[in-house]
Amino acid sequence: MTSEAARLAVWNALLASIADEMGVTLGLSSHSPNIRERRDYSCGVFDPGGEMVAQAAHIPVHLGAMPEAIRAVQSLAPWREGDVAIVNDPYLGGTHLPDISLVAPVFWEGDIVAFLSNRAHHADVGGMSAGSMPLSTELYQEGIIIPPLRLYDAGERNDALLAMILRNVRTPEERLGDFDAQLAALDTGASRVHALCRRYGTAELRAQMAALKDYTERLTRAAIAAAPDGRYEAQDAVELPGDNEAPIVLRLTIEGDAMTFDFTGTAPEQEASVNAVAAVTRSAVAYCVRCLLPAEAPSNEGGFRPLRFVLPEGSLVNARPPRAVSAGNVETSQRITDVVFRALAHALPDRIPAASAGTMNNFTFGGQRADGTPFAYYETIPGGAGAGPRGPGLSGIQTHMTNTANTPVESIERTLPVRIHRFELRDGSGGDGAHRGGDGVVREVEALQPMEAAIIADRRRNAPWGLGGGEAGEPGADTLIHAHGEEQRLPGHTRVRLDKGDRLRIETPGGGGWG
Amino acid sequence: MRHLGIDVGGTFTDFVEAREDGLRTWKRLSTPEAPEKSVLAGTPRDDFERVVHGSTVATNALLERKGPRTVLIVTEGFKDLLEIRRQTRPRLYELEPQRTPHVVRRGDVIPVRERLDHEGNTIVPLDDAELERVVDAAKSSGSQAFAICLLHSYANPEHELRILRALEACGLSACASAEVLPEYREYERASTTAINAFLQPTVAGYVSRLEASLARLRIMHSAAGLSAAGEAASRPVSMILSGPAGGVLGARAVAAQSGFDRIISFDMGGTSTDVALCDGEVTLRNTTEVDGMTVQAPLVDIETVGAGGGSIARVDEGGALTVGPESAGADPGPACYGRGTLPTVSDANLVLGRLWEHQPLGGSLLPDAARAHEALTSLGAPEVMAEAVTQVANANMARAIRRVSLERGHDPEGFTLVAFGGAGPLHACQVAEEVGIPRVLVPRVPGVLSALGMLTAPEALERSQAMLIELGAGVADSPQQGARALEDEARAAFTAEGFAVERLTWSADMRYRGQAHELRVGVERPEHTEFARAFHAAHARRYGFAAESRPVELVNLRARVEAAPPSIPLAAGDGSPQAPIDGSSAAGRIVSRASLPVGAVLNGPAVVVQEDATSFVPGGWRGVVDDAGNLLLEPSP
Repeated sequence: MTSEAARLAVWNALLASIADEMGVTLGLSSHSPNIRERRDYSCGVFDPGGEMVAQAAHIPVHLGAMPEAIRAVQSLAPWREGDVAIVNDPYLGGTHLPDISLVAPVFWEGDIVAFLSNRAHHADVGGMSAGSMPLSTELYQEGIIIPPLRLYDAGERNDALLAMILRNVRTPEERLGDFDAQLAALDTGASRVHALCRRYGTAELRAQMAALKDYTERLTRAAIAAAPDGRYEAQDAVELPGDNEAPIVLRLTIEGDAMTFDFTGTAPEQEASVNAVAAVTRSAVAYCVRCLLPAEAPSNEGGFRPLRFVLPEGSLVNARPPRAVSAGNVETSQRITDVVFRALAHALPDRIPAASAGTMNNFTFGGQRADGTPFAYYETIPGGAGAGPRGPGLSGIQTHMTNTANTPVESIERTLPVRIHRFELRDGSGGDGAHRGGDGVVREVEALQPMEAAIIADRRRNAPWGLGGGEAGEPGADTLIHAHGEEQRLPGHTRVRLDKGDRLRIETPGGGGWG
Repeated sequence: MRHLGIDVGGTFTDFVEAREDGLRTWKRLSTPEAPEKSVLAGTPRDDFERVVHGSTVATNALLERKGPRTVLIVTEGFKDLLEIRRQTRPRLYELEPQRTPHVVRRGDVIPVRERLDHEGNTIVPLDDAELERVVDAAKSSGSQAFAICLLHSYANPEHELRILRALEACGLSACASAEVLPEYREYERASTTAINAFLQPTVAGYVSRLEASLARLRIMHSAAGLSAAGEAASRPVSMILSGPAGGVLGARAVAAQSGFDRIISFDMGGTSTDVALCDGEVTLRNTTEVDGMTVQAPLVDIETVGAGGGSIARVDEGGALTVGPESAGADPGPACYGRGTLPTVSDANLVLGRLWEHQPLGGSLLPDAARAHEALTSLGAPEVMAEAVTQVANANMARAIRRVSLERGHDPEGFTLVAFGGAGPLHACQVAEEVGIPRVLVPRVPGVLSALGMLTAPEALERSQAMLIELGAGVADSPQQGARALEDEARAAFTAEGFAVERLTWSADMRYRGQAHELRVGVERPEHTEFARAFHAAHARRYGFAAESRPVELVNLRARVEAAPPSIPLAAGDGSPQAPIDGSSAAGRIVSRASLPVGAVLNGPAVVVQEDATSFVPGGWRGVVDDAGNLLLEPSP
């Protein structure tokens, strides 16, 4: 090769393509809609020291969490060829229980040259409610907890462990299919790593893995250095069941080309499932920093080097076992991004947008059809994006930590006993300003059979804030409309019984205005 | 027998004439402001048996939003279908997510009080007063184009058709989604219908201006077939991939001549590269995105990578060389063509001697090596950086080809890379090496292959219908009846155009119950057991497993009728004799393609120049002109 600059770019393509191809294999060979169609999975390539060198992520919350899994499974060392580790324990490298990670070392001529990992959201891992996203108060209610263990030991499958896992989930056959897909992805990755070793040698592979981490570090430091030094403070809050809330406090220090995220002062961990483990918090912060980098920048460990974290133990952003975490992953992660951007806005007022909807509006319902067959359904509903210096916020769009697609109305009505009466923008819900915040949406669903429904949503009381003089967006609102016409306002964390003809109207928050 | 193929691209309009004694090719500069100008200027005043035309006119009109103000008429409660779309943002990491607006402005929506259920039963009737209100609103909107998309109209088009007839009675032109795309999924159907309504005046005007001057005009559509000008004018969404579809057909035809049927077509142009995988047949898919908008219409399964000869190279803040996605395009173009100053892939090829400075582009424009040198100097030592730029471009292309192959269930190692477009044959060998593809085939006329491919396309017409039934024992619903109606409809439309049906093929969009996406699968007969058999087999091939105990859903059924394919001699005529070239460049020996007879062997490094493209044979590679006149490149034994 002729040029260092080209070598970096070529190796970036080579290693990223391993992560890509693992992702393609996993997505294509998985059995479950959640993995294949919602693309709720990520794949990563790690160096022998366990540091991430390339990642194909569809879900930002996996960004900072995958390296934790690699670190956690190192307790199983020494490794042998054919080993595959499994883990979902949120307190040992996981995020929330449905996200199950597999990790495998890759050997070449007797030495470990890389680790490969993938993490996929499994549709059910047991626990107190189908789909394993319950309104829980401790981790044990959320499903089976898998600490770092060997699923394969030198190529031999650990059938006892597998049987134990499958007996604890509602849909064992689908889980088995998804594990097969995750294993197939590891195989794809390993054969690609072997091809690189054959073609370029292990010394070059190791050198280029290091060079790529340095490269991302330089890009990240350059982005940070472009922001003025200083200490920037911000605060926001997660809403709790009842009228309470739990503040998240951030002191961001920018010093040259490094940043410290100090969450001292944040509320303690909670009984509700809004607790974020440290990996989720790091992911949310890393997502915000990643948004400051050029679009094509590779995601790897180098991006974390300039970042320092102070996450008080036992707080909402660094919960301890056995706290419940299912909503921490989907809701609190959104609030952490809001706090980070709010602090960054002090440093970069001409780049950072106002708050977006700030909630995934998690909506689940289930029951029995007229013919007695059971049904269950989970969706997240979009809101408005915050406006920013470039222009108005988008309306009816997934923001920050999620980006999953909706199910078409014509599809839902075919498969489930509901009728959707409205799915349109919630006019005027975006905050006013020189640039308007995006509007949230109104989704109105009628039960055609009696059913149980649950909503886990935030920003029902605290509105998404504006910036630079822009006004806040409208907070969300959830309303039960009884078949006889009477309306009843519901809280953001809600479980409700719907009779035939009852409707739920979910109005999602608009984004904040700017300027 | 004389046939003429014409492909209008962004920079050049390509012509291929096929006669008994061989092919003749030429180019004209395109005239984007009035594309028919370059077409008519380049067409000889002769009598052709057929003039086959493909054009980017529909795509360009869409990208530039050139069309009438379009109004969407939609079921009440869903006025923002085209705003929300599928609710996802295009890029994961972006401070302010941006999305280009759809063709319908937000205020230009008329909600209708009516509602059907998923079986087409009326829940809320469309009463006369409401119909009148909608028509009044349409009239007072002052708009020229209307798209009607009501929920579940694929199951029962009655409400849509009543509105359509009422609008037409007032002299307003409208498209009903149940006619444009009778398939379920409201956003995709509404988007496609709105785009169809938006494009109609532009495309209809264009083809009628062509038809006025060109007799026996046939239009290439995205699904690798030809249709009458009238069909294209009423279904302009079917023209979105008109040109690239010709390229894939051309690649398949010339590869078949050379004895290869498993190919990856590699069409590298100025701003982008189209890659398609053909395992024997040309593969079709059902949907594509244009500028963030969904178009659902059968089209050749092509992936576009944002890298081409005009892709701009730069060194980023982390010290890595990046190539693209920004492109110098046709204007200002690569530095070496006189107007641009930023270094591009073409400039790198010129500095390396892989593009020959004495070979004009498209017969007129001579590249300027000094300008290319100067542009690359901004990156570092020009020769070193030129090599670096091509390496990075090749690495990006290789990554895309591997992903495209894998996503379609194939290992690229069993395929032949068919390289064409202005820059394809320059990069093909090195990209093949990166990907692990064992051979490269460069057609006789790589610069005009799309126009050539269009000549090989059969007359074809496809019709689809949502079925939404579950297959399996004891299921009362039968696909047979729907199939018969669909077949009748397709045959009638085809016969009305004056063609005899030579071939009828069926395909179906199917999935396992619970899946959200369907697989488009060819079926031999529209029957229960055949659907299931074909689906399990296709699923196993593509995804590695078949769940034979799981219920299969038949979502859409498609009937395609084709006329007999034309017999076109692909062998090159002698063409215009070219003076033998005796030259060399930094990259190796310079050879003219015309001077290489069948059987000629060429060892790399060498550069093969011809009027419409340049091929680079790297050291360690060897080329042979095969019996079909195509240049077959393989690593030297």
